[in-house]
Parts: sequence; C-alpha cells; structure tokens
Amino acid sequence: MRSKLKWGDFVIIGVVLALAAAIAAVLALSTSGDRLYAEVWQDNELVERVELTDSTDRTIDLGGHNVIVLSGRTAAMQSADCRDQVCVRTGTLTRAGQVAVCLPNRVVLRIAGETSEIDAIVS
Amino acid sequence: MKRILAAFLLLLCLAGCTPRPESYTADFFAMDTFMSVSAYGETEQEAQDTAVRLEQRINALEPALSRTREDSDLYRLNHADGAVCEVSEDTYAAIEAAMQYAALTGGAFDPTMAQLTDLWGINTDNARVPAQTEIDTALAHVGYQNIELLGNNRVRLLNGAQLDLGGIGKGFATDAVAELLDGTQSVLATLGGNIGAYGENPGRDSGNWVVGIADPDNNTDYLATVEVRDRSVVTSGDYERYFEQDGKRYHHIFDPATGYPADSGLRSVTVIDESSTRADALTTALFVMGLEEGMAFCEQNDIAAVFITADKQVHVTDKVGAVCTFTFLGEEKGYTYAQ
Amino acid sequence: MKTKKLTLCGLLTALAVVLSLVERLFPLDAVVPVPGVKLGLANVVTLFALTRVSPQDALAVVVCRVAISSLLMGSVTAFLFSLFGGLLSLAVMWALLQAEGKFCSLLGVSVAGAAAHNIGQVIAAIIWMQTGAVVAYLPLLLVMSVPLGLITGLTCSVVLSHLKKINFNV
Repeated sequence: MRSKLKWGDFVIIGVVLALAAAIAAVLALSTSGDRLYAEVWQDNELVERVELTDSTDRTIDLGGHNVIVLSGRTAAMQSADCRDQVCVRTGTLTRAGQVAVCLPNRVVLRIAGETSEIDAIVS
Repeated sequence: MKRILAAFLLLLCLAGCTPRPESYTADFFAMDTFMSVSAYGETEQEAQDTAVRLEQRINALEPALSRTREDSDLYRLNHADGAVCEVSEDTYAAIEAAMQYAALTGGAFDPTMAQLTDLWGINTDNARVPAQTEIDTALAHVGYQNIELLGNNRVRLLNGAQLDLGGIGKGFATDAVAELLDGTQSVLATLGGNIGAYGENPGRDSGNWVVGIADPDNNTDYLATVEVRDRSVVTSGDYERYFEQDGKRYHHIFDPATGYPADSGLRSVTVIDESSTRADALTTALFVMGLEEGMAFCEQNDIAAVFITADKQVHVTDKVGAVCTFTFLGEEKGYTYAQ
Repeated sequence: MKTKKLTLCGLLTALAVVLSLVERLFPLDAVVPVPGVKLGLANVVTLFALTRVSPQDALAVVVCRVAISSLLMGSVTAFLFSLFGGLLSLAVMWALLQAEGKFCSLLGVSVAGAAAHNIGQVIAAIIWMQTGAVVAYLPLLLVMSVPLGLITGLTCSVVLSHLKKINFNV
C-alpha cells in the first residue's frame, strides 16, 4: 500500500507545524515593536524624521520658536513662542497618526508608523 | 518549453500593470488651519497629481471664503455699507449654503457673527470678555435674514450685518475636494476639524476609513471611532480655540441668541454626512442647541450626530448606525455610552 | 509515444484547471479567515504527473494550469502568487519523491507540497506588495496545509492504486 504512513511523514508534518509555530512566535514578539517615526515639518517641508525607539532621547530646537522633545516612543511639543499654545496643550503623542500643529509658526509634529488603528482623528 | 516560458514572461510583464496603491500626502496651511490631503493612485506620480490638484483647489477657494484678506469678496461685501456687491461663484454658493443651514437650524448656526467674533477676539492677542453693552451692539447686526441674495452672484447685506463664512468654510472646501473626484479615487482629506473620506481605503480590508472622534481633554486621543466611506466627518468642540479669564474658559462657538460662548453642557458635537458644508454648519448649531434639543433636532431631520457632554456621556442619534460603524472606546477614560 | 504523452499532459492540465475551478465551490476562506486558503485539489494532478509521467511534464502542467486558471478567473497578481506557490511546491515534492517509499509516503510528500505552495505564495506576496505584513497569514496557512495535504495525498494514492488495478501505464 502506497498510502501507508512512514515515519518520515510524521517528520514532515512535524516540520510544517514547527515552522508555523516558529513564524507565529516571531510575529507575536515583533508586533509589539512596530516602528514609529516622528516627523517634524516646518513651512511644508520635512525638517526631521527620527525613528522612535525605547532609547530615543532627543530635543529638536527650531530656532527657539518651537522645542520638540522626543523621548522613548513618544514625541511632544515642549514649548512654543506662539500665543495660542495649542500645540503645547496637545500633549504627548504616542501613536501613529497623531499630530501636534503650531499654526502661527507653521510647524507640524506628526507620528508616522507602518500600521495605525485609525486613519484620522476629527477634532 | 520555450513557448511556455515566453507566455510566462509575457504574463509577468502584464503583471506590472496591476494596480498597487501608492500614496501621497500633501500637508499645508490654509484657511487658518492645518490641512492634510492623502491621495492614492497606481503610481506615486498619479497620487501626487491628485493630492496637488486638490490642494490647489483648496488654495483657490481661500480668497473666496476669507473675510480678513483685503482682496477678498467677503471683505469687500462687509465694507460695502449695504451696497450691492458682485461676488465670485464660489462665494455666492457658500453664502447660499450658509443661509440655507441657518434657516434649517432656526438661526442656531448663523453666518453673520463677524462683529461678535471680532469683539471676543479669540485666538488673537486681544482676547477678552466684552462688556454687555458691547455684546448687545454687536448682536444688533447679527441675523442671517440680513443677507439678501439677488441672483447672478449679487449680494447685499442689510442692517450693518457682516458675513463670516468660517463656520462652513472648511466644509465647503471639503465638498469642493469631493466634487473633483470621480468616485474611483481614494482620498482622505483632513481640513482642520473636517474630514472627508472618499473612495475605497486601500489600507484596510474593509475598504472603509476609520476616523477617531477626539477626546475633548486630549485631542490626540479618541473616545470613539466611526468607519465611513464617501462621507465627511466634522467635529466642533470647545477645546480647539479658547481663552481663560478669571478661571473660566471662553471658547469660540458663540450662541447667536446671547452673544456668549454656548454654554450647553456639551464638549463636542460630531456630524457624519455626505455634505461636509451641511455637517460643518450642523455641528455648530447642535453645539449651541445642547444635548436635548440637538438630539430632537437630529431625529426630526435624519441627522447622524455624536454628542460628547461635559458630564462625560456619549450620545449618538439613530441615524449613526445607518451611515457608519460606530465603536465606543471611552470607557477607560471615564465616559459612558448612553444608548 | 510522444503523442500519447502530449495528450496525457493536455488531459492532466484540463483536469487540473477543472479542479481549481471546482474548489472555488468550497469557500474555505469563509471558514478560515485567511485570503488565499484553498483545498489544493489541483495538487493531486501535479503529484500524479510527478510520479507517473516526468518532472519536466509536471512542470509544464503546473505552469499551464496556473496560467489558464488565472486567465479564467484570477487577476495577474493571483497568477503570480499561484505560479510561485506551484513551482516551489513542485520542487519540494520532486525532491521528496526521490525518497518516497523509504523515508515517507505520498501523504508526506503531499503535505510538504501543500506547505511549500503556501510558502511560495506568501513569498510572492511579500515581493509583490513590498510589505512583510502578509507573513502574518503564514502560520495558519501552514497548519491548514497538513489536513489539506493529507486529503490530496490520499486522493492521489487512491487514484494510483486504482490505475494499478486496471494496468494503466504511461
């Protein structure tokens, strides 16, 4: 009988299942590490694009007008010399798709990532 | 074998023509706000062409809707001392729409609040609480009935009224974007508090666009999401533009009846509608009306709206379920979903 | 001899195309929420061609089957994915068939072929869409390939033993 199972068949099935488990495990470990980038735009031009990792610790000073702090996987407009302070009040950005905008200085801080739960926030 | 190989290579070349969406985002400042238009296309060039075309259309609309630029139609109209003015087609259409929604909402939305807005000076260095006499003087000129549309793009303002189309400007621009699309393109436009989501979202299996409704206390976060397609989502909230005096917050959504910022117990109102202009006017009007009156108004007029109250409740109208998928996510932030 | 072989290959291709059409009637992706999950009935034909005709002819059958069925119902992307899957599957099954009877049976060969088909498809998808995100589907596809591979392997061995009974030879 050709269809009689041989020991090698079990090896093959085992290898296939092990491969599935291994890929699933790698995926499960890596999804928590989705890449995030902080983008700083001024006058419609990209000034900085920095990958945010757990060890990110950087301050970007735009000529004293806006100070942006990148810390770990977060970004925030720490201070601005504009009167409305909307961008500072926006607080800390942690997720892809979030934006802090300083209208008077035409500065945009945005977090970009590969995946995002939402496409836009209406406010 | 050779023929098979040739056929295979031919098919491989054909494969190069299959659409694979590329995206391009145009970020820019217009109408006193930050705008972002993302377009998708088969090639990046195509996506960029679409996005740039839309950006140009919005920029072209700016003088038609601005009242501060001295070369604008509205500036001319507001300073004409009641004389008849001819305005551009876009301006005329916007005024017509504004009047229509002012009538619909019984004046809860009113496009003639320019003097009152200037008086409070929110978002300027002169923001202050005006004296009651000043408010009364300004209010005497408010009233959409003071606009007279004379046809052929000619308009007259009576009774010293001054037009401010800021309440529908971004909505009007969003609709102008939608008009340029032929239904096959995928575009996500964020014009300040107005979002227009058109075509199929290539980034999601469902093809829908997921829009978060901002948390009034932290507008980088959201309390709920709506999944939409070919619709606009607009929010008006008390948290975007305001100033504080003597510990009290004064925001930018004025009640045309009192001349004060609407104190209706609401933090924000979101409207989901095919027309962004309509949604824009309605969010303001519903915010002024407050929860009870606003909900009743929506049920009467078949409007999809989401109300977020100061006592941390989220209310949605019946129509919401029909136009989008609504997901409430505010539980952790202390909000309750009132069904 | 040559005509007979050619006829057989044509028949096998036709059969394979029909099978891949037939398996559309089983909307497996409704049960398992993964795009691209299929019964893989056409694999029976590939396996048969490999064991009873020759690797070269099996290759021809696979390429023709993929091309024709893509033209009939698929997009060009579907064609690419299937072709990648089909070729990898063919290579793996051919290699394992060298040890068939000693190391493993047709069932094992078929399971490996099904798994290879899925891996090939996903690799094609990664190259095509330029995103690694599709790998997420692979674990489930691989797990599914075990029962599905067993079914096709069993079908093939039943067919072969039947042909043996009626003394069919190429």
